Amino acid sequence: MASVTLESVSVDFPIYNLNARSLKKQFIRLTTGGALNSDESHKCVVVKALDNISFHLEHGDRVGLIGHNGAGKSTLLRVLAQIYEPIAGYIHFDGKVSPLLDVMLGINQESTGYENIILRGLLLGLTRKEILSKVNQIAEFTELGDYLSMPVRTYSSGMQLRLAFGVATSINPEILLLDEVVGIGDTAFMDKAEKRFHELIAQSSIVVLASHSNDVIKRICNKVILLEAGKVKYFGPADKGFSLYQ
Amino acid sequence: MNKIPEKTRLELALADIKNSFCNWRIWLLLSWQDIRMRYRRSTLGPFWITLSMAITIYTMGLLYGHLFKMELSTYYPYLAASMLSWSLIASLLTDGSGIFVESEHFLKQMKLPYLTFILRTVTRNFIIFFHNIFVIIPIVIFFHVKINAFTLLFVVGLFIIWLNAVAYSTILAILGTRFRDITQLINSLIQVIFFLTPVMWSPSILPEKYQYLININPFAQFLALLRNPLLGISPPLYAIIVTLIITLAGILLSFLIFTRYRARITYWL
Repeated sequence: MASVTLESVSVDFPIYNLNARSLKKQFIRLTTGGALNSDESHKCVVVKALDNISFHLEHGDRVGLIGHNGAGKSTLLRVLAQIYEPIAGYIHFDGKVSPLLDVMLGINQESTGYENIILRGLLLGLTRKEILSKVNQIAEFTELGDYLSMPVRTYSSGMQLRLAFGVATSINPEILLLDEVVGIGDTAFMDKAEKRFHELIAQSSIVVLASHSNDVIKRICNKVILLEAGKVKYFGPADKGFSLYQ
Repeated sequence: MNKIPEKTRLELALADIKNSFCNWRIWLLLSWQDIRMRYRRSTLGPFWITLSMAITIYTMGLLYGHLFKMELSTYYPYLAASMLSWSLIASLLTDGSGIFVESEHFLKQMKLPYLTFILRTVTRNFIIFFHNIFVIIPIVIFFHVKINAFTLLFVVGLFIIWLNAVAYSTILAILGTRFRDITQLINSLIQVIFFLTPVMWSPSILPEKYQYLININPFAQFLALLRNPLLGISPPLYAIIVTLIITLAGILLSFLIFTRYRARITYWL
């Protein structure tokens, strides 16, 4: 049974202005002693992206992240994906985390469809054996046929998305993180993608989804986290969360 | 609720290093892909690397051999071995500081051990080097360059360079992410180092009282470590000792910096 626990997690981003980032400025500061220290320009601004966040997710939780732009939804997803290690607080996972933040990540234009399946699969944390056993099933799903032996640059953008989506959804996630569900290809393929997407979600023990579309969240999620200026304003059943949000 | 144990920085850094080496398929594929991207759709593909190195060495050798008034039969092998070694060292230096900056889209979308990207860039430059090495073969045959037990030291030299490449790339990559000027700084220094280091000129043409200029130059020692075995000569003991000290210092320093700042890298991107 997967679970996720966050205990007073905070994330601060230092925003270095151009000067602070250059060595020259640091060097001048050294050589000119205290003279420039009164200057405000080298003090870097800190943005509090997440502020003292605590919650606990358990098996079966389908959590939607809602909140206005800049509320910290993407940052929270990246903390859950272990991309940002929090500067304060603890995170504890039971189970493997599979982030699907950018479906197209690692798709290389010059490589063939098959080569991309292998690389993307490795990046998703699959072993070579697992990928090889899934190649046929992915090929079948994407309906790309012989195109899979051609470089991806020869694909239309819809076909590229199909390939990327096909590989990305071939994993068996325990804790699944999603950022903005993407619309895939033509209408006929859409239904198929939709079905596979829901299968993926059904397989996962825990799903965390950030989206601006309230409909998507209402359809998929049973709980929501309402973020406001980096703080959890509400965590609980979806209905109540939405009434607070709107 | 149970208290969640806090992992120490050291444990996390060690885990990163271990996982990076376990991910060898990823960095091997990525580095090979880098090379293919650079020569995409050209007929010769990566062998353009070999060809352009060959053109440089074969033409430069003719001119500079006469400029330095050296026998072509000694100067050609010397220049080829030097240029090959230097091109490896120089490309490792110039690529190092940009490693994390260029991998931003990966680092911000998924969790991969940081060292994966260091190993990718180092491997890429070693693959390029192994393409370049073919240039010396006609020279070895034509000018009867010695092949003996010392030639085997080339493998040892390459391994020491690899250790340094990983260690110092880590330091440069972390510094280069925090201070974006580092890349420009290195690019401008690399030209100067090229002329100060005996790459094109032989140490023997420097008067005795200026020999110290070579001895205090760490790049000259690394160069000798690779170049001499290629010519069938042992690297001087001095070069071996100096490079080993620099290697140990680099590994220690990079480990300390990596442990301390590993978690900050994505914040600086």
